[in-house]
Amino acid sequence: MKTCIACGMPMEKTSDFAAGDVNKDYCVYCARPDGTMQSYDEKLDSMTEFIVRTQGLDKKAANEAAKSMMARLPAWKV
Amino acid sequence: MKETQRQKQKSQTRKQIIEAALKQYAKTGLIKTPTIEIAKSAKVSHGTIFAHFPTQDVLLTEVIEEFGFRVNKRLHELVEGKSTVEEILKAHLEGLTEYEDFYIRLVSESRLLPPQAQDTVIMIQSAISHHLSRAAEIEMSEGKLKKLPLHMVFNGWIGLIHYYLTNHDLFSPGESVLKRYGQELTAYYMALLQVRI
Ligand SMILES: [Zn+2]
Repeated sequence: MKTCIACGMPMEKTSDFAAGDVNKDYCVYCARPDGTMQSYDEKLDSMTEFIVRTQGLDKKAANEAAKSMMARLPAWKV
Repeated sequence: MKETQRQKQKSQTRKQIIEAALKQYAKTGLIKTPTIEIAKSAKVSHGTIFAHFPTQDVLLTEVIEEFGFRVNKRLHELVEGKSTVEEILKAHLEGLTEYEDFYIRLVSESRLLPPQAQDTVIMIQSAISHHLSRAAEIEMSEGKLKKLPLHMVFNGWIGLIHYYLTNHDLFSPGESVLKRYGQELTAYYMALLQVRI
């Protein structure tokens, strides 16, 4: 199974993939409306917002966690 | 690029150590388990462990990360096609039941672990909070569930199951706490969320 290079989500169904394209390495949540992959800053913002909204973490703590998780993903590894 | 025999052997040993560590940590704890015990159960020398993982913290962090990936993959498979909050809660418990011993160690010891390991806990939670929030939003808008803040719906659930998990010795000595109480926990939580008809 493929895993999104930008957020780590496992991608199974066609609808998990960006623009429904199974050849893409990133998921539907990491794509911009035009199908291209979000930038690092865009992804960091959306991941932070997601953690705050669904898990209630403090914004700064959520931002740190998101940074650390992203640092381990292929798209953002230095 | 083709792996040489030596590289193959190396990655094989690495896998062996990670598998042994997953079992050993689940059995005797994340912080307390000495690397020598992991070496014994992986059937490698103590020095071999450090040839692959320079420090105990590196090993621990990598094993926790591997655990996180496995649980997430499994949870993703289980919630696939599930659309109601109740189905997702059940799938969540089913997934955790398969990894219960290690998961208990992880949530019990998480505040004492290296920061990266703590982020893995958030990563595991994110897989569930994602699906749970989506389902809850829909069912709230349909009037089936009370309109409650999404993060409280998630944290209420996590708080409940983690209380049972971390006190498993009191609730179900010698057996799986999720197998014993899973149904009751899900039914109780759903009763709290549902709009009474
Ligand atoms: Zn993604």
